[in-house]
Amino acid sequence: MRWKNKRFWAETLQAYIFLLPTLAVLGVFTFFPFVNAFIYSGYDIKTRTVPGSVLFAITTDVESLIASLRRGRVPETLARVLEGHGAQTEHLWVRLREANRWVIRDEKNMQEYLILHEEGALVVRSTVTKWDMQPVGLENFRKVLADPDFVKALRNTAVYVGISVPITLFLALILATLLKQVTFGRSFFRLVNFSPYVTSVVAITMVWHWIFDRHAGLLNYVISTLGSFFGAKVAFVDWLGDPSLALPAVIILSVWRFVGYQAIILLAGMQSIDREYYEAAKVDGGSGLQVWWHITLPLLTPQIFFVFIISVIGAFRLFQEVLILFQGPGPEKSVLTLVYYLYEKAFGLGQYGLASAASVILFAIVFLLSLFNLTVVQRRVHYER
Amino acid sequence: MSANGGGPVKRNPKFTIYSARRFSWLVIVYLVLLGSAIVMATPFLWMLTTSLKDKYQALRIPPVWIPNPVHWENYLTAWNAAPFGRYFVNSIFLAVTSTLGDLITATLAAYAFAKMNFLGKNFIFALLLGTLMIPGEMLLVPSFILVKRIGWYNTYQVLIVPWITSVFGIFLLRQFFRTLPDELWDSARLDGCSRLRFLLQIAVPLVRPGMATLALFSFIGSWNAFLWVLIMTDKVELRTVPVGLRFFMMEMGSEYHLLMATATMAVIPVLILFLLAQKQFVQGIARTGLR
Repeated sequence: MRWKNKRFWAETLQAYIFLLPTLAVLGVFTFFPFVNAFIYSGYDIKTRTVPGSVLFAITTDVESLIASLRRGRVPETLARVLEGHGAQTEHLWVRLREANRWVIRDEKNMQEYLILHEEGALVVRSTVTKWDMQPVGLENFRKVLADPDFVKALRNTAVYVGISVPITLFLALILATLLKQVTFGRSFFRLVNFSPYVTSVVAITMVWHWIFDRHAGLLNYVISTLGSFFGAKVAFVDWLGDPSLALPAVIILSVWRFVGYQAIILLAGMQSIDREYYEAAKVDGGSGLQVWWHITLPLLTPQIFFVFIISVIGAFRLFQEVLILFQGPGPEKSVLTLVYYLYEKAFGLGQYGLASAASVILFAIVFLLSLFNLTVVQRRVHYER
Repeated sequence: MSANGGGPVKRNPKFTIYSARRFSWLVIVYLVLLGSAIVMATPFLWMLTTSLKDKYQALRIPPVWIPNPVHWENYLTAWNAAPFGRYFVNSIFLAVTSTLGDLITATLAAYAFAKMNFLGKNFIFALLLGTLMIPGEMLLVPSFILVKRIGWYNTYQVLIVPWITSVFGIFLLRQFFRTLPDELWDSARLDGCSRLRFLLQIAVPLVRPGMATLALFSFIGSWNAFLWVLIMTDKVELRTVPVGLRFFMMEMGSEYHLLMATATMAVIPVLILFLLAQKQFVQGIARTGLR
């Protein structure tokens, strides 16, 4: 019995020592936040800035200090004392002006100081952010699902997934098939096709922002040149400003970015197909297209489904391209996506509970797709074995 | 039509004689591949050529493909227009530390899963597998609240610690470790070698290709990381290259020649790395992508 085996227990202990760093990090930064996402979705969460410890008090020349604070200036005496606390004068500004209460913000260190006029003295306090949590049950989910913006985000995301994934996969399949035909220059083609995937999304989206430019962008120029080649006059369009073109623009960018990556996976899958099948087909005298249709494609289905599922899951997480291309949810919110919605709610508006509810919904979608992948797809599509 | 569907007829290994049909097919294949390569490469070339023009030439239609004259100084102007030196130092520092951390933690964990027998192994492995189903964006809000509460907001550790381990790396290295024969450890143990020493001196050198692949993925992943840095910090000093690029873009608006210069600077290191280590890269994708 292994339970009585001393060596087994010694090995268990050692294995856990080996696993400790991984489990600690994942525990704190994956499992804990994961559980919290569900918990927070049942709360109304707000931040509140409350006075912290007293840093110092000024009793001399209070009236003139208040006068300049009221004009929105940081008095020099105050700035000098704040410098003693690590602030830098040129980064200080008065963020909040009230009757006897001011908030000075240090833009360099992102610190805020509370100045209070109490009993003839100016009291300077540090500030502490408090998290207020009120349990609200399922209220956040009700609000999110009733929010037309959320419905719009869901629809936009679904349209994006439904169009970009099949197009990319179809092109990737063709690309992989062609790449398999050639040996000379294959590594060059692989490099070129793969580059969009390995480079920074931000940098590459900046380039596409320029390509989509209405007046001097490359895309409009190429399309109108191709158009005039066929005798049609194509006007320059406003890719990023027209609500009906914004989502197509993101789709173009995504297809370009992922087609090579998918093709590489499919190509690896094609190369792992047993040569025997092809030799058998040769004996039977099948044409190239027949072989592709009757042998390559069926034997590649596991990889095709795998690529399909990971692409769908990835596409549901669309965000960075939207943020860089539009600096917002796009014209008439036409590219408001699920992740953009939760980003905006949490980090734009501070509605953390609502954002948590939206992230739970995002998780539910991704989870169901993964489950579908694991249970149905992986079991059914294997022709071999 | 020949029985083999027009495939090459091999007579002498040095010369392959193609049938006319096969030859014309290959021409079509190459033309299509070349066309797609042009489409894939054009944005990069467009970025590069724009980065070397002056403001007015950049906006000209029809576009000028070869910048004339070449404005190398755009790179200097862009570099000095924002603290890009700082951004690059940050990016390199974070990429190096998280890659090293990733290598260490993933090696230890992967070895345990591949070669050790312990209580709860399958359960913990399933747990790790489960994390792959969690979209990272879902964790942003609770992580943000956690980070604010423990006072890690605007620190280097929040940009390093969560990224010093990766389930991807564990799976990748586990596959490499599994190929090592068990006899290796058995004989080392008889010679009185400890597990850790065996791992470091014998097992790790044998899985070097796997380590290289992981290092590559980890480095590039960290170099390109954007959303986490954007949300967990708001200090200029902590910005990485992608986050710096985003703010530079917001400030510069339509100064495309400068924007493209900075984009080029951000993209070139990764492209060079990819060029040098293409094989490891494709292997990593194929191995983990296909289980």
